[in-house]
Amino acid sequence: MRKLITAPIKFYKKWISPAMAPRCKYYPSCSSYAVTAIETYGIKGVAMSAWRLVRCNPWSHGGVDYVISKEKVGV
Amino acid sequence: MGTILKPLYIAVSWVIITIHNLLSPIFGKDSGVSWSLSIVGLVIIIRIILVPLFVKQIKSQRALTALQPHMKEIQKKYKDDRQKQSEEMMKLYKEHKTNPLASCFPILAQAPIFFALFTVLNGIGKHPAVMHGVLTQNDVDSAAQAKFFGAPISDTFLGTNITTVKIVTVCLIALMSLTTFTTQRQLMTKGMPKMDSSNNMMLQQQKIMLYAFPLIFAISGVNFPIGVLIYWSTTNLWTWGQQFYVIKRNPTPGSPAYEELQRKRAHKNGEVNTETDVAPIDEETKGQRNQPKKKKKKK
Repeated sequence: MRKLITAPIKFYKKWISPAMAPRCKYYPSCSSYAVTAIETYGIKGVAMSAWRLVRCNPWSHGGVDYVISKEKVGV
Repeated sequence: MGTILKPLYIAVSWVIITIHNLLSPIFGKDSGVSWSLSIVGLVIIIRIILVPLFVKQIKSQRALTALQPHMKEIQKKYKDDRQKQSEEMMKLYKEHKTNPLASCFPILAQAPIFFALFTVLNGIGKHPAVMHGVLTQNDVDSAAQAKFFGAPISDTFLGTNITTVKIVTVCLIALMSLTTFTTQRQLMTKGMPKMDSSNNMMLQQQKIMLYAFPLIFAISGVNFPIGVLIYWSTTNLWTWGQQFYVIKRNPTPGSPAYEELQRKRAHKNGEVNTETDVAPIDEETKGQRNQPKKKKKKK
């Protein structure tokens, strides 16, 4: 299931985004973030990715923003 | 879904009808020209609304001049670690509350409008026609026979046997691919601050652009009505023009286009007497010659 959701994102990363100039305000980019988030959190990761996309808007200043790893949340 | 999109159908159809009514006295009510130009008008209005965002982005790119020494330092420090390099770069932008990158918003904001236009035009093409938004039976009848270079604007490549529709679709897909290709190429070769990306990456990018984009446009384009393709092509053309203007007149500091402009201005200044020359040009040239001094420009 997780593979199914991340497949189109991975396709985008491999075939579409390399051809375009970088535009994401964050590091890692929204698409990388989405792949990591969905692989770690499943459906919840989808929501996290959506929220990341919303945060990546013209009024934000971007920055470094990794998916919080599961171990850290557990503590 | 329908209730969310309904206001959009109304907005999109209203804009098209309004422009169509304005153009009807000139080109004729049932003319394909009025209907096609209505779609073009819709693009122009949306892109004008998005201009302030573009200006904002350009302004934050200007602010990078002050950050250039820092950026060079980072590039040097993390020469072999691309990840660390990008990370530090993003931190720097955040610290100075400026970010030259556009984010996906300008594209995502257009997606619902694109979808609404798709639905409205598809409705016109149905038998019997489905009226979305503020369209009346009269409008639908008129729009259904409106032609763009001989192809009905609500027809799709897959939904018709008319050769003209197929030819026009292919031409528009080619135009879309071409504009996307030139826009991205121009931005990467001239518009971006030089990064030490390897030649290999550039080559790969160009290969992808040459094959993947036409393919993606072709796969989606054959399902879209001609009118949607007109919208898409026009918005691509606008993007290209906007970028062309900025790269020529107001390039990002540190990019090849910027250096070219500085050289041109310096050259011009050398010929004209510097003292009588216009102040802004003079100042900018000076700023380029002894860049470290110009730090006070940063707010």
